[in-house]
Amino acid sequence: MLALLREGERYSFDLVRALGDVDGLVTSEGTLYPLLGRLRREGLVESMWRESSAGPPRRYYTITSDGDATLRTFAAQWSRFRDSVDSLLEQGATA
Amino acid sequence: MSTTAMHPLAADYLRRLREAGRGLPTGRLDDLCAEIESHLAEAIPPGTSDADALSVIERLGPPEEIVEAEQPAPADPGRDPRTWREWAAVVLLPLGGFVFGIGWIAGVVLLWSSRAWTTRQKVLGTLIVPGGVAAFFPVLVLSAVAAKSRCVTVARRNGSAFGVGSRHCVLVGGPSSLHVLLAIVLIACVVIGPILVAVHLARSAGRAPAV
Repeated sequence: MLALLREGERYSFDLVRALGDVDGLVTSEGTLYPLLGRLRREGLVESMWRESSAGPPRRYYTITSDGDATLRTFAAQWSRFRDSVDSLLEQGATA
Repeated sequence: MSTTAMHPLAADYLRRLREAGRGLPTGRLDDLCAEIESHLAEAIPPGTSDADALSVIERLGPPEEIVEAEQPAPADPGRDPRTWREWAAVVLLPLGGFVFGIGWIAGVVLLWSSRAWTTRQKVLGTLIVPGGVAAFFPVLVLSAVAAKSRCVTVARRNGSAFGVGSRHCVLVGGPSSLHVLLAIVLIACVVIGPILVAVHLARSAGRAPAV
């Protein structure tokens, strides 16, 4: 969610659909809204309702500096974790 | 936003979400419903077929699942989940009977209003023993009344040490060893029962998730 917001603001439906379309990541799109709420309460994202010319009002989200820092930390940890698993799998394959 | 212009399936989904989320704090539920309503309005514009609307709703998942994800995060496991209410209930149930009898009733009210205990534990706490340890005194009084006494009035002086017209009583049918044993068991139950139950309730409340 934070990674999707790194490039700029997006509205919630657009965010949820983008994650929902990633294969195997989300089982039900509805549960992403509580996640957005949690990120909001933790101050990692900010939101604002805006009228839309195309239809119903939309809630736009932007990442905060805290959110950006959290994303960087996670990206570094994920990269280490992925490398460790990759190296274990490679060892298993060559054994 | 109004649900009047919504697709009937979307309006029904929103109603089910509100229903499922009744236990959530009002602000959180309103916020969640506003987001989902916006999602439904975006994904199901006027004129959408029932089949397409159903597919959007299926992608959202059951309302109960969304509410479950919205539940407040579990409390810090290091924090004692027992509040003053749980402690007051645990103290008042065995000992509250000494406070004009109403202390025990207050304990029962606190016991049933807490979410730290299961219904089975609440029934146990209420029934063992109504009135708590204070119930020991009525048992004692009943035992005393059960011991029969016989009184006689001295009608005439007949070498008796008592004066004519004097009345003296003797205890008859004194407690047999069986009676004594029964009384001890009864008193032990009335005193130890509520204390054991209170200890059990205090320990299980400590393991319950914080409320």
